[in-house]
Amino acid sequence: MIPASNPVAPPRSGLSRPVRWLLSLVLLVYLAGVIIAPLSGPPPASDLSQVILQPFRPLLGALYLGHGYRFFAPDPGPGHSIRWTITLPDGATLAGTTPDAERDWPRLLYHRRFMVAEKIAPLVPPPDAPAEVRARAKVDWLPLVKGVAGNLLRTHGGDRITLEMVEHYLPGPDEVAEGRTGGDLVMPLGTFARVASLGQPGGSLKAAGAPLRAEP
Amino acid sequence: MKRTDALTTAATPRHDPAPAGGVRGWLADWAQAWNEFWFTPSDPLPLAVVRIATGLILTWSCLVWLLDADAFFGPRGWLAPGDAWRMNDQPWQWSWFFAADGPDAVRVLAGIALVAAVLLTLGLATPVAAVVSLIGLVCAANRAPLNTFGLDDTLGMLLIGLAVGPSGERLSLDAALFGGGAGQGRGAPSARATVALRLIQVHLCVMYFFSGSGKLFGASWWEGTAIWGAAANVQYRTLDLTWMARHPLVVNAVTLATLFWEVAYAALIWPRLTRPLFLAMAALVHLGIGLTMGMMEFGLAMIVANLAFVPAATWRALLPDARPPALPVPRPSSPPPRTELA
Repeated sequence: MIPASNPVAPPRSGLSRPVRWLLSLVLLVYLAGVIIAPLSGPPPASDLSQVILQPFRPLLGALYLGHGYRFFAPDPGPGHSIRWTITLPDGATLAGTTPDAERDWPRLLYHRRFMVAEKIAPLVPPPDAPAEVRARAKVDWLPLVKGVAGNLLRTHGGDRITLEMVEHYLPGPDEVAEGRTGGDLVMPLGTFARVASLGQPGGSLKAAGAPLRAEP
Repeated sequence: MKRTDALTTAATPRHDPAPAGGVRGWLADWAQAWNEFWFTPSDPLPLAVVRIATGLILTWSCLVWLLDADAFFGPRGWLAPGDAWRMNDQPWQWSWFFAADGPDAVRVLAGIALVAAVLLTLGLATPVAAVVSLIGLVCAANRAPLNTFGLDDTLGMLLIGLAVGPSGERLSLDAALFGGGAGQGRGAPSARATVALRLIQVHLCVMYFFSGSGKLFGASWWEGTAIWGAAANVQYRTLDLTWMARHPLVVNAVTLATLFWEVAYAALIWPRLTRPLFLAMAALVHLGIGLTMGMMEFGLAMIVANLAFVPAATWRALLPDARPPALPVPRPSSPPPRTELA
């Protein structure tokens, strides 16, 4: 018990007062950063939080603290995967999905590949969205999808790839109990071909670095 | 030794109000509570336990990164280096992989992170290993934002605490090889250990608070059906829970219990009475996510973060070989040192 006559007893930390002040300042800045990151995003977020966030961006970026922590919020949604068809140099085709529960093992590898589809999916509007909305969104998702296409072509040694985003139907309890289910939502992402690889025998790794051409 | 908890330490003044009263006394109470919360020396044993568990998960994560390092970190991977700004806050989210121009360089850098993770687990050259592990994790996450998820957020939080605190002073090769005995103070209660554990504890509360409050936006959490949404998602599912379709009240109960636990965690993890309940619920929730949704690494990482709330006395009881910390000799005018935290 700290005697009442000494209400602000020196802490038993062995730290001098200036050191404690300095450490406290560092801790306050750090904690402010930890809190402002989820407060400022994902949306909805206040303008004030965006203003406060600005000086913290270097700290949050350097220490990888810029997270929203909205795990399974606001509602658990449907899962996504990317369906692809690759045309090989000999004309054969190869089809698959990312992620692939059968081939992507261990499970952590599956999950890291699963995140590719999960992070691109929110950027892709449904096919029935207004054309203007889809065109505007494409500016954001197309560069990411090109990266996915290039990586899959490099991995499988293909020349051409067609990608689709699949939103898997999430059945309700009633549907499962009755043995019913719904259809998946498929959103075309485009067909891409390796421009520089055409006519270049071998050296797929080198060719994989070539710019990708999006086909209509 | 008097057992205390963080609530009595930090939130409730343990002495009468200052005779001076008023604002100055109130501020003095705050200052004292702050100092006791952050700087009261504590046993680094819990930090050592967190270090070993974190190191194991991080080592596994590094191995999995290496299984497809070119795709994750290479210049021709899932995300082109020039497009990282689309998902990151550049230029602040730097990565050493941005400087890697080929598969060999990528593997060397990923290998450095793996070696650091192994050393962290073993507790060899721990201060350096912890810092390099943190850098490795940050670089991996910043280069491959398309492939990251909650596991990486949690590992980052844990590694910051481990890098700040004396995480290698107990249960480590450092202690075994260079310990020097209690007389030299290695493994003794320290303010650094307290700061490190508090950082993890407070950060974990922030995570749960925002995760829980974010769920309050969702109708399915209020309706008590959100757990079904997770159970029926085939992309996540590793254990068939569709039998829950026939037991909607069970779905309601599990959903609402999870929501209440997460929303209330930041407040009720501190009192001694409710802490065991909230830790037990954390184990249930995270093991459940790990087993049924295929995210065992994430679940385990969250459980490890919760271990920061387990008192050192519990670890000493569970690990009888863990040598008791060397207690500093109290000064005659000082109260006895307290080595129990939280």
